[in-house]
Amino acid sequence: MPRLNRKSITLAIVLAVLALLPFWVGNRYQLHIAALIGIYWVLIGGLNLVAGYAGPISVGHVGLLSVGAYTFAIVAGTHGVHPGLALVLAGAVGGLCGLLLGLPSLRLPGFYFAMSTLACSLIIGELALAKQNLTGGGVGIAVPGFPAPFHTPEGMYWLVLILGCAVTWLTWNVARRMWGRALIAVRDSVVAAQVVGVPVLRVKLTVFVFSGVTAGVAGALFGSLQSYITPDTFVFEMGLFFFVCIIVGGRGGIVGPLIGTAVLTMLPELAAPLARLGNCLYGVLMLLVVLLVPEGIGRLFETLMFRLRGTRPVSMPVKPDLARLEAAIKGRRLVQ
Amino acid sequence: MLTVLISGLASGALFAAAALVYNVMFSTSKVLGVQTGQTAMLGGVFGAWFIRTFHFPIPLALLGSIFVGGVFGFLTDLIAVRRVLNRSDEHLWLLSTLAFATITQQVVALLWGTEPLPFPRVVPQDFSAGLLDQKYWLPILTALALAAGIELFYRRTLYGKLFLAMSEDPFAARARGVPTDRIRALSYVISGAMGGLAGFMAGQLTFAYFAVGITLSLNGFIALAVGGLGSNTGALVGGAALGILSAGASYFIGGEYQNTVSVGLLMVVLLLKPAGLFGAQVARPV
Repeated sequence: MPRLNRKSITLAIVLAVLALLPFWVGNRYQLHIAALIGIYWVLIGGLNLVAGYAGPISVGHVGLLSVGAYTFAIVAGTHGVHPGLALVLAGAVGGLCGLLLGLPSLRLPGFYFAMSTLACSLIIGELALAKQNLTGGGVGIAVPGFPAPFHTPEGMYWLVLILGCAVTWLTWNVARRMWGRALIAVRDSVVAAQVVGVPVLRVKLTVFVFSGVTAGVAGALFGSLQSYITPDTFVFEMGLFFFVCIIVGGRGGIVGPLIGTAVLTMLPELAAPLARLGNCLYGVLMLLVVLLVPEGIGRLFETLMFRLRGTRPVSMPVKPDLARLEAAIKGRRLVQ
Repeated sequence: MLTVLISGLASGALFAAAALVYNVMFSTSKVLGVQTGQTAMLGGVFGAWFIRTFHFPIPLALLGSIFVGGVFGFLTDLIAVRRVLNRSDEHLWLLSTLAFATITQQVVALLWGTEPLPFPRVVPQDFSAGLLDQKYWLPILTALALAAGIELFYRRTLYGKLFLAMSEDPFAARARGVPTDRIRALSYVISGAMGGLAGFMAGQLTFAYFAVGITLSLNGFIALAVGGLGSNTGALVGGAALGILSAGASYFIGGEYQNTVSVGLLMVVLLLKPAGLFGAQVARPV
């Protein structure tokens, strides 16, 4: 199997380059950005299953991110629990919040769902401001770092890399098996998915809770990387940013959103004048992608590759076995 | 107590106006645009800009705000809605209007600044009137006038009838020779102008502030969903209920829980009566 070998070699090279990044990257700040990309990807990888595969448009994952960050800060910082355990707890609380949010709102049609996730992120921001004795209110709260092997910036980067790879692997497994097919069916036509026996709400809820868990974990890592969080850290525009990464990268893929995350996170850092325009730029980019290539830039590259190689994506229509169908119908008639 | 009621009604009137804007757009295109709140934000910001910087007289500034809103509505249709409606993916309009709303908000923030600025007096009145102050009764009157105006428009004019025909069945309307694209563009212009007017009149309540758009989109939508999609009476009732409830919540529980309470209202109504108070039951496509 030469194709498989080539793929696994490419994968191994990419992983090696990423793992050795701290040794060849220029300075600490670039390493910080790399870790930030990884953390965003932990969240976006989970969100990708919801927004990219299953279809519901969630712009409120920044709320779940802040839940994870505050859980980590309170459990590990205020109560002194081991950060590894606190990380797991942050994921669990994030998943629980995802369940609480998803259970009523995933039954709603598209626009209603988007608005309830927006409302969720606003509510969590309000609560973080109101519960002063827990979260420190507007002043904010300090977040502890991770212990021994992960306490340096390099260690933090490797931790993020491990978790990012784990999330990628999990979503990859979900996406290419029956689950992923079911999710795409739900996105493209709810009625058709129901007809072939996909439990629509359960499928959507499962991936939404999964995305809540990854958002909680990402929140813990994010808080730990920033080392101090306030409610102002988690603005609505951040939730929009996560979503734009998926749209620009292409819905219904994994590599596309991954590259989208990396490029969009680095973009304001590379060009200083862009930083001021940041959110406006994301809006323009999203509008352009939606109007010109609704499948995303990732899909555009895929099509170009097909063109270059000369292979066309084959469609495989299933021919109906009319004779057998007729026999079945007749047999049914005879029974009646 | 009366303070809570009056101020709640005033902010509720603004939510109701946003819900009416949603309704007018929804009637012709079946699109609930996220940019709805931004039209009112533009009305407030441009109104304050016209009066404070260019020293326009009040009526001229009001006309200017309405004009800006109308242009914004036209651009929304041109850029974010027209191309997307032709595609099969039903959620694309959500993405395109969201992107358009973000661009608008950020451009206003860049050009105008991120500080909320006070809005000048619209009608000469001193500040001793208390609850009879114009910042309370102006938005309430505006919302009532908008609802009455849009109902009259639907019932008494040919174009209003065309709107209704398109909201019932766009294909049938097209088959009878209705220029559906032009009617949709007109509905966006009208909705934008309504938003601009409401934003101008409620300027003293919200201040000229770039970030009111997104909360207004959310609260207008909650008012609409509570009252029932497509119903103008429902928009008024839903807006008033939402405004009084959230004002009461911030008075009795604390200002931090305003969004929590309004989303709670939305959830309760959607669970008990999914179509809203005055909404028509929609058949499920199977």
